[in-house]
This record gives sequence, C-alpha cells and structure tokens, in this order.
Amino acid sequence: MAKEEKRRPFGMAQIIYTLLVISIVIPLLNPVGLPIGISSTTRDVYNYIENTLPAGKPVLIDLYYEMAARAELEPQVAAVIKHLFEKNCKLVFVSTITYGPIVFELLKSTAADLFADKTYGVDYVFLGYIAGNEPAVRSLATSIRGTVAVDNYGTAISALQMMANIDKAEDFALVFIASSGTDTFGWYVRQWYTPYDIPLLFGALSVIGPSIKPYVDAGQAIGMLTGQRSAAEYETLVGRKGLGLASMDAQSFAHALILIFIIIGNIILFATRSKPKPEGGRRK
Amino acid sequence: MSVVVRRNIPQIIVALIIVLMVIFYFFYIEKPVSDAFGTADKALSDWAIVITAIAAIVGGIDILRYHANQIRKRERRQIIFSSIVIVLEIIMVSLACYALSSGIAITTQPNFQWLYTYLYAPADAAMYSILVFYIASASYRTFRARNPPAILLLIVAIIVMLGNTSLGAMIWEGFLPLRDWIYNVPNTAAFRPITMGIGFGLIILGLRLIIGKETTWMGRRE
Repeated sequence: MAKEEKRRPFGMAQIIYTLLVISIVIPLLNPVGLPIGISSTTRDVYNYIENTLPAGKPVLIDLYYEMAARAELEPQVAAVIKHLFEKNCKLVFVSTITYGPIVFELLKSTAADLFADKTYGVDYVFLGYIAGNEPAVRSLATSIRGTVAVDNYGTAISALQMMANIDKAEDFALVFIASSGTDTFGWYVRQWYTPYDIPLLFGALSVIGPSIKPYVDAGQAIGMLTGQRSAAEYETLVGRKGLGLASMDAQSFAHALILIFIIIGNIILFATRSKPKPEGGRRK
Repeated sequence: MSVVVRRNIPQIIVALIIVLMVIFYFFYIEKPVSDAFGTADKALSDWAIVITAIAAIVGGIDILRYHANQIRKRERRQIIFSSIVIVLEIIMVSLACYALSSGIAITTQPNFQWLYTYLYAPADAAMYSILVFYIASASYRTFRARNPPAILLLIVAIIVMLGNTSLGAMIWEGFLPLRDWIYNVPNTAAFRPITMGIGFGLIILGLRLIIGKETTWMGRRE
C-alpha cells in the first residue's frame, strides 16, 4: 500500500527544489552579467518620461506594496525615481497601504545614492500612510492639505516648501503607482485619470501585469513596468545597476531549469504513452 | 427597532448618495452646484478614511482577542504561535506608542524599525519566496502535451519564459518581440472582457443597491 510506504527523505521533489536553490543562489553570488534586451513596454515608459513629461513638474508616487513584493517592485521604483530626479521632478510619495512608511524608509536606505543630493521638503516629501483605499485616493485628488494635515514625520504640509503650489490632482504631471495589488490601479484610473486626465504609470508584479494591460492599451495609463525583468530593463536604460539587474541572472537560470523540468516531464509522458496498456486496467 | 429605521432609511440614504455620485461623476453640472457637492463629496471621502483607520485598530484588537481565545482553549499546537503573535503585537504597539509620545514618526523609531526590518520583512519575503518551489514542481506536471490546447499552452509558456530571460535572447533574438506580442495582443484580448465584466458587475451591484435589492452590506441575506 502506497500510504504504508515510508516517505523517502530525499525524493524527486527534493531534488528539484535543491537544483532550483542552486540555480538561484550561485548566479546571485557570482553574477554572469547576461545581456538584457529592452521590451517595447519598458521603452515606451522610458520614452514618455524622457521626451513627454515636462521637466521639474510634480509627480505623485504611491508605494502600495509589502515586504513580499519588495524584491520585484523596489528596483522598478528606484530606477524610475532616478529618471524623475534627473528631470528635476518634485516627488510626492504617499502610501495607501499600512506597510508604506517602512517600505519608504527601506527604499531610502537601499537606494541612498538617489536621495543623497536631494533635500526633503524641497525635492521630495512623504505624506505617509493614508487609510481609506479608493476614497483616500479620491480625497487626495481633491485636496492633499484637506486630506492630511502633516507629513509622515509630523511636519505640517503648509510648512513644506515644495508643497506650496501642490495640492490637487491638476498640479501633478504624472502618477506612478507601484502596487502589489490589482485594485490600486483601478482606483487611480477612476479617481485621477477619468476626472482630471492625469497620466498614470503602473509598476506591477509580473503576475498582475496581464490583468492591468487593458488599461494601458485603452490609453488610460501611459505605460507599465512589470516585475524584475522590467526593473532590470529600466536600470539598463537609466544607467543604474541595481537589484533588478543583479537578480536577472538568477531569474534566467531558474527559468531555464524550470524549462528543463517541463521537457523532462513531457519526455516521461511520451515514454509512458508509447508503452502498451496493461490488459484489463487503466493507466493514469 | 422598526423595519423602517433598521432597513428602509439606510437603503434610501445609500441609494440617494449613489445617484448623486453618479450624476456628479458622469454629467456636467453648473460650477457653483458642482463645487457645493464637491465639499460634501470630500467629507464623504474623509469619513471613509477615518472609518478605515479606526477599522485597523479594531482589527488589531480582534487579532489579540482571537489568539487570547486560542491560548485559553489550551490547544497544544496553537498555543506557542498564538503566544508569539500576542507578545509581538504588544511589543510593536508599545514601541509605536512610545514613538508617538516622543514626537517622532513610528517608522523611524529605531527598535520598531529593527523589528520590522530584521524580523517581519525576512519572514514575509520568505513566505512569498516559497512559492517558487511549488511553481517549479507544478510546471513540469502541468505543462504536458496531452492534447492540442495543452500543446498550445506549453508553446506559449516556453516563449514567455524564454522571452523573460536573458538566456532566451541568447538562443534566439525573436523570443522577446514574440513575448511582447503575446502580452499585447492575445493577452489583452483575453483580459479586456474580464475587466469589462467586472465593470458591468459593478453597475449591476450599484443598480441593486439603488432599488434596495442588495442587502448584504447591512449584514443580512435577501
């Protein structure tokens, strides 16, 4: 009886898991530096910020992701911030998820080079976590000062030099939503794009990408970045080697290994198919 | 309480607000009227923000209560995990209160930040990372060329995976443009009706709320 058999301490699954760990860890420790092509979606985003976005204009960045999604989204955010700072854009960070404040602190520590020559309150501000989901997004579009009285550090919004002329949706030239959820993108489409025609840029996880692509194709967002691949591409375009590029080798080798598993799985399928069926019984 | 107070009045208020919001969102209204409604609309949004913030406190208390009950039931397996949750929640809330009383942002409080960065963050990231093992073992079981649709799925999966990696470009440069095409055309064609379906669903939900057919939000079935 199968149930009575002793479980093997190191079966096929364990072999696969071990190989997978090796294929991820070794490239992370010893990067090979495989070349990366630039996809059309990432190039479109880069071209928009480079050529269409007016220099020096305010940009709202919603950091809506938790620790689990940080590996995929933080490299994207850092690369885009570098590009926006190069265009002297004024960045207003906000978070509509509770993890936001700590995520922002981690971003500042891991991408310290980006903020090194920038002054808080002059070049960027962080409004902190704002509860309320879509109503909060709507409220921010109507009036930031009417929504939050102080920033994340307790400074009055009116005391921040940069915020003197920034209060409502029309004051922004772009909104960048870096989100691990799907709903967040819809909030901004409904509350910022439709009523105020503010351009949106999506930064999403790879698995979320396909579900938000219709917004981009409908022109409701100027473009989207998805997963580490887009992050690595954007880092290449802006010339900042970060976590996106560093993890691409590991991702490449892991994908290659999974492809090998798929091929082996199919070989086994065909091999068992070609065997004659045992009489009077069904084969799985 | 009578049915009118318990049921009909809340339904009328909700229906009225939905109708007003639809009118002011989709139709052009004279500016003075629109501005006047805008103030009321802003107040509604602010209420939602306040309610959500209070809900977070309620959630925290509920977690505490749930795990306290688990300990009280003396379930041997659960008791250790529930104790850890309670202890950590108390520590985090205490540190946050201490930060607030010191006049600094919670997230910049060193002990809070340390616990979050070196305890919570790795644990959360590890939970998500474990998925890779399931995906790896599931992939070689799922992507089997059993029949024509499965063969199609297998081909698409191989193209997307190779297009996503640098190795794919080394094998054939066409993988990336092909992945982009799959992403932009068939994928969007598949997801657009889903998005539209959700939209229609929301419209129907709104209509049901207006005519008073939807009562689940009041905590009861029809």
